[in-house]
Amino acid sequence: MKQRRLKVFAASLILLSGFVILVLAMTKKESMRELTPVKLIANAETMDNQNVQLVGAISEESTAWDAEEFKLTFAVRELEKTATKIESIETVNVIYNKLKPDNFIDGGNVFVEGKYDAKQNVIIANKVTTKCASKYEEAESAKTTEGSS
Amino acid sequence: MDMLVGGIQSIAAELGQAAIFLSIFSALWAIVSLFIGLRVRKPNIIKSGRNAVAATFILISIATGALIFSFVTDDFSMKYVVEVSSAAQPLLYKITALWGRMSGSLLFWLWLLTVGGAIVAWQNRKAADNLADYALIPIAVVQLFFILVVTGWIEGVYNPLDRFPGGQAMVDGQGMNPLLQTPSMAFHPPTLYIGWISLTIPFAYAVAALLSGRIGSDWIHRSRRWMLFSWIVLTIGITLGGNWAYRELGWGGYWAWDPVENASFMPWLLGTAYLHSVMIQEKRNMLKLWNILLITLAFQFTLLGTFITRSGIITSVHAFAQSDIGWYFMGFIIISTAGVIALMAYRWQRLKSANRLESLLSKESAFVLNNWLFVGLTLIILWGTLWPIISEAIQGEKAAVPESFFNKVVIIPGLILLFLTGAGPIISWKKITPNNFQRMFISPLFVGVVGGVVAWLFLIFRAHAKAAAEISAEVTEVATPNFLMRLWDFITFSGQPMPIFSILCVFASVFVLVAIFSEFYRGAKLRAKRQATSFLNGLGLLIQRNKRRYGGYIVHIGIVILYIGIMGSKGYFLLENGRLKLGESMNVGDYQFTMKDSFLDEHDNFIRSGVEFEVRRNGGKPTTMRPSRHYYYTTGQGEQDTIESAIQHQGMNDIYIALGPLPTKEILGGKMSMPEKIDKETVVNLSIYHNPLISVVWIGVAVMVIGGLVAIAEKSITTPRSQTV
Repeated sequence: MKQRRLKVFAASLILLSGFVILVLAMTKKESMRELTPVKLIANAETMDNQNVQLVGAISEESTAWDAEEFKLTFAVRELEKTATKIESIETVNVIYNKLKPDNFIDGGNVFVEGKYDAKQNVIIANKVTTKCASKYEEAESAKTTEGSS
Repeated sequence: MDMLVGGIQSIAAELGQAAIFLSIFSALWAIVSLFIGLRVRKPNIIKSGRNAVAATFILISIATGALIFSFVTDDFSMKYVVEVSSAAQPLLYKITALWGRMSGSLLFWLWLLTVGGAIVAWQNRKAADNLADYALIPIAVVQLFFILVVTGWIEGVYNPLDRFPGGQAMVDGQGMNPLLQTPSMAFHPPTLYIGWISLTIPFAYAVAALLSGRIGSDWIHRSRRWMLFSWIVLTIGITLGGNWAYRELGWGGYWAWDPVENASFMPWLLGTAYLHSVMIQEKRNMLKLWNILLITLAFQFTLLGTFITRSGIITSVHAFAQSDIGWYFMGFIIISTAGVIALMAYRWQRLKSANRLESLLSKESAFVLNNWLFVGLTLIILWGTLWPIISEAIQGEKAAVPESFFNKVVIIPGLILLFLTGAGPIISWKKITPNNFQRMFISPLFVGVVGGVVAWLFLIFRAHAKAAAEISAEVTEVATPNFLMRLWDFITFSGQPMPIFSILCVFASVFVLVAIFSEFYRGAKLRAKRQATSFLNGLGLLIQRNKRRYGGYIVHIGIVILYIGIMGSKGYFLLENGRLKLGESMNVGDYQFTMKDSFLDEHDNFIRSGVEFEVRRNGGKPTTMRPSRHYYYTTGQGEQDTIESAIQHQGMNDIYIALGPLPTKEILGGKMSMPEKIDKETVVNLSIYHNPLISVVWIGVAVMVIGGLVAIAEKSITTPRSQTV
């Protein structure tokens, strides 16, 4: 009986260790810092050539679609509700070679994943996501999204 | 007339408000009277508690009905109606606006919960024991929590029946986001809610078992159909969400491991684990503690989803409004889990298993491994979802993991689970014997290996054909290697990474299908022989006599189909971006797309602008595809344009076209843009996808649901007195 329980324990331990190692290794490999434009610019040197998730708002009148190059360019600023006047001036440029997603509107919240080029202050994005439709809910909330994104 | 409607609207809103506040007392009454009645064993007090549950249902139905009435009659004196509806909104979307935003969603959630409570009370009104009455206590506690949330006392969440102060009314509403005005989005949220809420009932029965001390299988039998119902509805709900994303968002995919998607998927995983582990308790009187823990976790994860989406601590594409509500949910999760753990400690002795695992190679062990994997997958997904919080706590800086993290970490446990889908049903109880292995495993394993080899060869030829096409396109001089090198190159995919997971997926899928179909074949043959009837009749009788078992096997077949679909659509899709003018063509895979014409037409609440493609496969018969963009311009329709992809099914594969920005002209002094017809000089940007086996994904889910419906058709088993401890 004892031997069998030992076997069960050993098998469980191996399985669990395998799981944990796999997850930790992948987390380390894939993890990318989540930053707002101001924080990214402040850490430009360390973040150069690194994958990053940028969270902010689409800067007004910054969006351009180059039909020849199949290229969407825009700037991301701090989320309005978290930014001071000075911070709201600082933006990070984004280049995205895919279709502009739905809900992509000036001032709308956006998440950008990609590699940061500190010299050019630009992210070559592999994923751009706008807030999903269920949402339109900013007015409902009495509190802001301060510090959360 | 308007005055009359206005008067009725006003009365309805006031009545709804009053009903919500009264329901606080009915829910409290239910909790107290049921608790006291069961404690002192007074049937009249217990009956009063049951009636209070029914009263809560009636009161919340009045409140929900009042809100729906306000939507249908365009009562723009109500804040919630103004925010989610508009006069121009079609009737269907006026009704579905009920769950369009947080306040209404919570009321809808509460109403479904009261429906569940009323059904439990009604079903068990003549029950010989009080287990269901015990279950009504936790149900009423959860109801009370939701009622308090809906009242609007929590900062950031207002009562959905609130009106503007001073009797003000808006001329029109803001309207629902155009992206939500689709049938699949009309049904996706309520299906998910129904799935989540019906998980409350098995959880309540587990608490009832702890409260009453009847820890046997009775509570499992009583809640079996609820659990299966929840599982079926959640399966449909999650798939509807994926299907909506695929059809509406123009990115060619259906699952992106977003925190909100994960929040809906985790309770499903835990519920699936529970559906398996209860069988061990029923057959072998084991895992009693585990089952209660598992159903508690599954229930708590339905609430955790709200915490994740509403607390604002996680960055999600699903940007729901953030408020304190997430933290209220977290508080409730902590308190209710602590309560269940305290009850488990109190009943510790009765929760001990009567039997132990006899061998690592047995059905019991397969079930335990299955449970470990489901729970492990849930924890991995939770880890990835909460990584921004965890990383901030550990490293002091917020970090996130991308979609690829989830794809990589779930693949190995996912493949082991797939293998178990076939191994579980055919392995023997207690301990595998050489006879069992030889009789049940050899053929499926052999055919599985053959399937894997065929997949390997297919993928080799596919990779080489692709490489050859690329080389000929580049017109590169390639040195001719010797035969052995060529052979080595051939079997190792010319140095490219070998698609080992695809091969393993095909191996496991074939193994499972052979194992399951053999089970059907053996059973049907035996039944036909015993009843002296045909094989098909035997098969029918077999399923009819054991719907739960064979329904489960049908679900397993659906799982295999789903895996194959995911493998094809996620692993082998093609994407080409292009820019075309009218009359020009581009090629994707075997298909040629020629942009023939353009169109611009006006609909009730949007203008549609698009192009017409002639599509030919390998120069064959032409078909037409019409991708477009919708421009919503009517006040209250969101005033934006959306991608309307064109999707054409080619057997099990899809070709999918999404258009980029189209020419527009500014109107109203630049305040709004209207589309212009595309002419010969206009460059149209587009993305074309070839999604192999994507229809197989939807078919797989349909088969799973059919299997679930077969299983749910089996009536609950009457528990022998000896097991009801």
